[in-house]
Order: sequence, then C-alpha cells, then structure tokens
Amino acid sequence: MKHLIAPAVLATGLATAFAAPALAQDNSVALQLQWVTQAQFAGYYVALDKGFYEEENLDVTILPGGPDIAPPQVLAGGGADAMLNWMPSALAAREKGLPVVNIAQPFKSSGLMLTCWKDTGITGPQDFKGKTIGVWFFGNEYPFLSWMSQEGISTEGGEDGVTVLKQGFNVDPLLQRQADCISTMTYNEYGQVLDAGVTEDELVTFKYEDEGVATLEDGIWVLEENLEDPAFVDKMTRFVRASMKGWKYAEENPEEAAGIVLDNDETGAQTEEAQVRMMGEVAKLTAGSNGALDEADYQRTVDTLLAGGSDPVISQAPEGAWTHVISDGALN
Amino acid sequence: MRVRLRSAATSAVLFGGLLVVLGLLAGAAPRIPALAALALLLVWALAWQANRAFSLTDARIARVACPVLFGLTLLLLWQMAVRLFDVPSVILPAPTEITVAIAANLPTLWADFVQTILKGALGGWLIGCTAGVGTALLVARSGFLRRGLLPVGNFVAALPIIGTAPILVMWFGFGWESKAAVVVVMVFFPVLVNTVAGLSDSEAMQRDLMRTYGATPGQTLRYLALPSALPFLFNGLKIATTLALIGAIVAEFFGSPTLGMGFRISTEVGRLNLPMVWATIVVAALTGSLSYGLVARLERRLTFWHPSQQARG
Amino acid sequence: MTDAPLSAPGAGIGRSGRVAHLSRHARATVGPVLLVVAALVALWYLACIPMNAQNAVLLAEREDIAVTPATAAERRDMGGLALTFANPAVATARAFAQERPRLPAPHQVLTELWNTTVGVAPTSKRSLLHHARITLVPTLIGFALGSLAGIALAIGIVHSRVMDLSVMPWAIASQTIPILAIAPMIIVVMNSIGVQGVLPKATISAYLSFFPVTVGMVKGLRAPAPSDLDLMRTWNAGPARTLLSLRLPASIPYLFASLKIAVAAALVGAIVGELPTGAVAGLGARLLAGSYYGQTVQIWSALFAAAVVAAALVAAIAALERLTLRRMGLAR
Repeated sequence: MKHLIAPAVLATGLATAFAAPALAQDNSVALQLQWVTQAQFAGYYVALDKGFYEEENLDVTILPGGPDIAPPQVLAGGGADAMLNWMPSALAAREKGLPVVNIAQPFKSSGLMLTCWKDTGITGPQDFKGKTIGVWFFGNEYPFLSWMSQEGISTEGGEDGVTVLKQGFNVDPLLQRQADCISTMTYNEYGQVLDAGVTEDELVTFKYEDEGVATLEDGIWVLEENLEDPAFVDKMTRFVRASMKGWKYAEENPEEAAGIVLDNDETGAQTEEAQVRMMGEVAKLTAGSNGALDEADYQRTVDTLLAGGSDPVISQAPEGAWTHVISDGALN
Repeated sequence: MRVRLRSAATSAVLFGGLLVVLGLLAGAAPRIPALAALALLLVWALAWQANRAFSLTDARIARVACPVLFGLTLLLLWQMAVRLFDVPSVILPAPTEITVAIAANLPTLWADFVQTILKGALGGWLIGCTAGVGTALLVARSGFLRRGLLPVGNFVAALPIIGTAPILVMWFGFGWESKAAVVVVMVFFPVLVNTVAGLSDSEAMQRDLMRTYGATPGQTLRYLALPSALPFLFNGLKIATTLALIGAIVAEFFGSPTLGMGFRISTEVGRLNLPMVWATIVVAALTGSLSYGLVARLERRLTFWHPSQQARG
Repeated sequence: MTDAPLSAPGAGIGRSGRVAHLSRHARATVGPVLLVVAALVALWYLACIPMNAQNAVLLAEREDIAVTPATAAERRDMGGLALTFANPAVATARAFAQERPRLPAPHQVLTELWNTTVGVAPTSKRSLLHHARITLVPTLIGFALGSLAGIALAIGIVHSRVMDLSVMPWAIASQTIPILAIAPMIIVVMNSIGVQGVLPKATISAYLSFFPVTVGMVKGLRAPAPSDLDLMRTWNAGPARTLLSLRLPASIPYLFASLKIAVAAALVGAIVGELPTGAVAGLGARLLAGSYYGQTVQIWSALFAAAVVAAALVAAIAALERLTLRRMGLAR
C-alpha cells in the first residue's frame, strides 16, 4: 500500500492538470509574437498603450517571442489565443496536423532580402552557385528553399549548388566573411549591416518581392476549433479592429510608435534610432493593407510554396487556411 | 533464489495480463481524465511490484532487469498519458511515433551523429582532456602555480555556455571546429582540477617511501603520482564526457552548417516535427549513457584497487 | 580564540592567532592569483591585435590609409596574424577601441561592466544588477527544489534496492539529454497547465541541479564505516534512526561539495530557461540581446556578470560549509 501513495499523488496531479480548462473565456487575449519586442510589432504595442484595446473592452497580453519559441507550439499548448506567423510556417504547421487559420494580414509586402558582398561577383540568382549563403531556420527558411528550387539550384553545397549555413540572428556571418550572403530583413538586419560601417555600394541586395518569390509575413493566426465559438469570434473581431487602428496610427506617427516600443522593451537593449528606422521600414510593408487578407496575395504565396520542386514546403494546396469572417466584422 | 524467480515471473505475467485488460478498457472507455489517471496509477503500481520481485533475484539478472523494466514502465506510462489525455503531437509525441521517426530517418541521424559526436564532441574531448592532463602535470609541480591557477580556472569554468558558444562560433567559423572549441573550453577545467587534486593525493608515507628508494621526480610521477591520480582523473573524464556531448549540441544552436544534432533539434522544432526532435534526443541520450558506461568500465579495470570500486553500500 | 596556536605569527605582539592565520592564508593565495590574472590580462591584450586585425585594416582602408593588400576581397583569406605582420602600425593602433571587436579589450569590458552596474540605477532595465536579480530568483528556487529532490532521491536509493537498481542508471541518462532541447517543451507544457512565471524556469534549474546532489548524497549516505553501522544495529536503531544520527551527519561534507556544483548548474539552468520564455529579462536575455545586435562588448560584460554571480553563489555555499563543518567538528 505504501508503494501506491507516491504514484497516486502523481497521477492525481496529472489528472487535475490536464483536465483544467486551457483558455479563459472572458475578454482577455494573449498574443504570441514571433520575435522579441521591436518595432516590427509596433501596431500591437501602440494599440495597447494608446488604449485602443481598452476601448474595445479587451484585456490584451503581448507575449514576446524569441529564438527558442515556436508560436504554433505555444498556440497548440493553449498558451496564447492568437499568434503572429509567416504564412509558409503556418501552412506547414497546418499540414503537420495543427489546424491554424489566418484571420488578418496587416503586412501587405515582404521585407525579406538577401544581402551579399559585391566583391563576391554575385549579380544575379544564378551566381549563387558555389557560394555560401546564410539562412535563418525556425520557419524562415521556406521562402529561400522555394526560391532555390525554382531556380534549379541545389542546396547541398558543392560547385553547382549553394552551401547553406544556419545563421544566428545577427549579421556577423557577413561581416566576418563566413558567408558570402546572409538573410536580412529590410527593417532590421540590413540596417545593422550599414551601422557596422559597410557602405551601400559595397553590397548587392536581392529583395524577395522583386524576385517574385515573396511570401506573406506576420499574419494573425488562431486555432480552427476556437473559431466555432461565437464569443471567441467576437473577441477576435474586436482585437483585429483595435490592432489595425494601432497599425495605422503607428504608420502615421513612427517616432511616437518607436518610443512606445522602447518603453515596452524589457531587455533594455534596444536603441531609439534603430527602432525609429525599423518603424519607418515596417510602415512601408504595412501600407496598403487594411487587415483583410488579399486572396490574390494568398494564392501567390501558396503557388511559390508548391513550386518547391523536390522538397516542397507544402505538398498540396491548403483548404480553409484563412477566413474573412473576422476581418469583415472588424472593418465595418 | 528459484522461488524468488518464480514470484518475479508470476508478477510479470499478472502485470502483462492486466495490461491487456487495461488496454481494452482504455480503448473502450471515454476519455475521462480521472479514469485515465487511475489507469496510469495501476500500471505504475503493478510495474513497481514486478520490479521489486526482480530486485530480489540474482544480482546479475537484477542489475540488467530492473533498469530495463523501469525504463519500459516509463515509456508505457508516457504512451498511455499521451493517448488518454489527447496530448497534441506538436507538444509531446508518443513513443510509437518517435520509434517510427527513428526507423525512417537512420541515414540523417547517422550523418548528424558523425558531424556532432565524432567530429565536434570527440575531437574537443580529446584535445581538452590532453590539454587538461598536460597542464595538470606542469602545475602540480609548483604549489605557487596551483594556488594561482585554480581560482582563475574555476571562474572561467563558471562562464555559461550560452555566452561562450556565440563568441567561439564567431571566432572559429560555422564548421565542427567551433563546436570542438566549445567542448575544449567546457572540458579543460574539470579535468585540470581533478587531475591536480589526484596528483597531490599521495600520502606522506608513500612519498617518503619513494624517497628512500632514491626515485627521481620522473619515477615518482610514474610509479606514485600517476596511479594515485587515476581515480580522480576518471572522475574528471566522466564529467568531461557528459559536458562534451552537451557542449557540442548546444554550440550548434548558435550557427552550423545544415548538419548536426543541434541543428536538427532546433530546425525540426521550428518545423513542428517533434518526433524527429525526440529521435535526435534519444540518439544523444544513448550516446551519452554508452560513453559514460565505457569510461566507467575502463575505470573499473584500471583502478580496481580503489575502495570506491570495492565497497558495496 | 582558544583554537589558535600560541606560536602563531604575531601572537607575541597581540595580533590574534586567527587574524595571523587568515593573513598568512591570504598572502599565500592572493599573490599567485594576482600574478596569474596579470599574466592572462597581458596575453589578452596581445591577442586583441591579431583578432581585431581584419576589422582594423578595413577601418583604415575606409579612412583612405594605404594598407597591404589593398582590397577586402584579397584580404578575405588572410589570417589575423598575417594581416598584423603586413600592417603592424595600423593593426595595433586600432585594435583596442573598436565598436564591434572580435575580441574586446579588457578595459572595454570593464568599462561596460562599470557603466551597466554602477553607472545606471539598479532598477533600470539597462542595469546588469536588475537582470542579475531576475535570473537569481529562479536559480535559488530551482536550486532549493533540486537539492531537496536530490536528497530525497538519494535517501530512497540508499534504502531501497529497487530504486538503487532502477533509478540510478536513468538519473545518469537524464543528464545526457541536452537541456536546451527540452527547455522549450517543458515551458510549453507547463504553460498549457497554467503554470507560468518563475516556476517553469525554476523547474529547468532543478532538473540540472538535482543530479550532482543525488550522486554526492548517495556517496555520502554510504560513507559511514561498516563498524559504525553495526554499532547502530547493536543499539537497536532502525533505518530511520540510523539515517538521522549516522548517515546524514556523515554525508554533510559530500553534500556541500555537490551543492557547490549544483548551484552553478542551477544558474546555467535559469539562464537556459530564459531563452524559451522570450528572452525578455535576465542575464540570459542580455547575452542573447548582445548577440542579436552584434554588440560583442555587451555579450562579454553579461558573460562576466554571470560568472561573477556563479562565483558569488559558490563562495556563499563554501562559507556556509566552513561554518557548518567547524561546528560539527569535521573541519579540515
């Protein structure tokens, strides 16, 4: 009998733990960001600070992301109501069996680009052969892999392929010459390269938008099963409405938005000029979107991903991966 | 002893039979957490009883059977918990899925193993241990150096790997060299500290004896200091083995080519391919346990004379 | 001061034996440590020159100073030493004050440490003291939990043959699982149960610190000589009594040795645990933030701060050890 006491306690603990409800059903919203607090997410911080969420009677918690956080995982674990994610990563999660649905798309264009040293002789994508290219992973590798597949360049290295490095989230591989090109965002790492003293004419850049292989970024995604609950749909409609209001305010007042982001940065590591610059660049990406997902953009992203050749990111066109129900409700 | 074996076998048969019944129950019954918890509880209690019975048998059987049975029980409880509580696979996959992932990805797992363990961890371990032992031999002769170097060494050993790994990747590049460098930094000081302690562990009487034999410093080293240092050295080597494995994998999180166990874990988490992540973790755990066991085996052969190898508490 | 020998230095002129003893001990250690540290610092300054040579030559080239070889492309494959010998004056002049050095000079690290500890208010987000405090809380909680678990496990292993045979190999195996891989999963699972904040990080600290305590206590609880155990038996002492009066006191030296290792492991666990929770605050967050923005000096200063915290914790345990062992009469 005494051998059963310890197992009993443990099992009871487990039972109560998993039986407990995972989400609060009131007016609280937890948003999981896909990176650390920075102006890339200014719209949400502005909405929080300026009281737009309060006006909609919402209690919003913004959870910063980081290198070890996979937002789909947090969503699956019930740690957040909504997540920000790039569309390739979310569609791949959907295929893995996690039914996430896009409810809003504040970012109209992609900020992803490849930055290369001009003295490597690279002038076009076909010159990538035999070069070393740094790629982020953790969901950010899909656009690159699709692009190389479409160009017919293998990513296994060697003379006729590219050697891919899993780069960390800084620009040192380029500066230390460990890679010929690195992945950068227009609003973040590219500025860091310039800050390090490199001039623009020492570099040659390739924007994914210009190469026609861009994918949609930073959409708001939720779990499909929650969309069957009308209270949840109503809550998210108000959330999207307030968030888009925050985004438009941020676009028009970049310095104030950068200041708000800085106030919310817990690490104390961000600088004002970097955030103002980031806000300026992000505003270019959110301009032209009112929050509703443009079906043509969605289709273009899906086509890019499906054209991945031997190693496609997704194997078939997704069904029901997005909905206009919430954005329609939010915009009128 | 034969009586105890029979009771162990009886327990195992009863256990197996009840498992079948429980399995049918679990499949048929709705997913009520309380019922599931009860099932887990029963399974654990039965397994514990079987384990107790095995532990009373012959030492050789018990030494293998008990840990194996314990491990199987844990796997069984894991599988039951995941299925009965409907845990999503993107959070915690079931052991069956992990086994399938291992079987389906053997070439990838092998290539990762070569990159991380054989090139990074092993290379760094060899360099670090050699450097540690060499430095210890130099340092042990001078009490001055010993008193000065050890506090500094403890400080350097306290630098967290999360900080040193990005710096070393920046210095040594993305290949296995930087991973080996991280391993060297992690392994050097434990081996140094332990070897220095071991080299000075000889008793005054033993040192006097060498003196009466007219032994040169080299001979004292070879016949007295080195053998008495062996138990401590092996202690350091066992620590170094675990550290080397962890160091090589963690270092790959901060920059690597598209190969390696650390790379595999971090990217597959991003792709929500959790069974593959756990497959790599299983390979890491197996490697770590086997290498620890290897070093322990070697220790038993070379330091059979030491009390710790003889006493049975 | 009855335990100080009458013949202690300074006893004749009134300096107490204990003070004399301490000062002699200090003289014996401080001298060598200072010498070793001075030698290391000198080596460090010397190493800065070839390590920062690439960047130094690049900076000189941008200022239109003649360097050999002249273009960055030609310099790409040259090592730091080769560049230093080719441009000694340029490399030496610019090695010690770069903004993004490969190897920051000691005075740069010390300045940054000073600025972020003494130069800012301790409650500010930019203060290392603030971040150290945030890391310290889960460290201490995790250390306490891990030590208790380790002691409990060790008592179980020593008294139960089943546990001895079954649990020990798995405890060893548990330490071979890379914690950086498991930490995000632990955090997600605990968040899904509703446990947030300090406890998940403390769990990771406890995971890393329980094993040294288990191993040390098992050795310690088995340390009493067989003759002493027999003596307890002749007094009709049961296992609980033997544990309390013989085994536990005999294991105290081993306990403290493993507590020193465990506290350092707990700090590493807390730092690792900060990464999956958004790397928002704490020393780990500072390390990562320095890494993202390429602020090498920030990384080094956070690194030294973490090592200082670890050394302080170990010193605290060592002081506790000396106190306890002296009162128990086991002092060496």
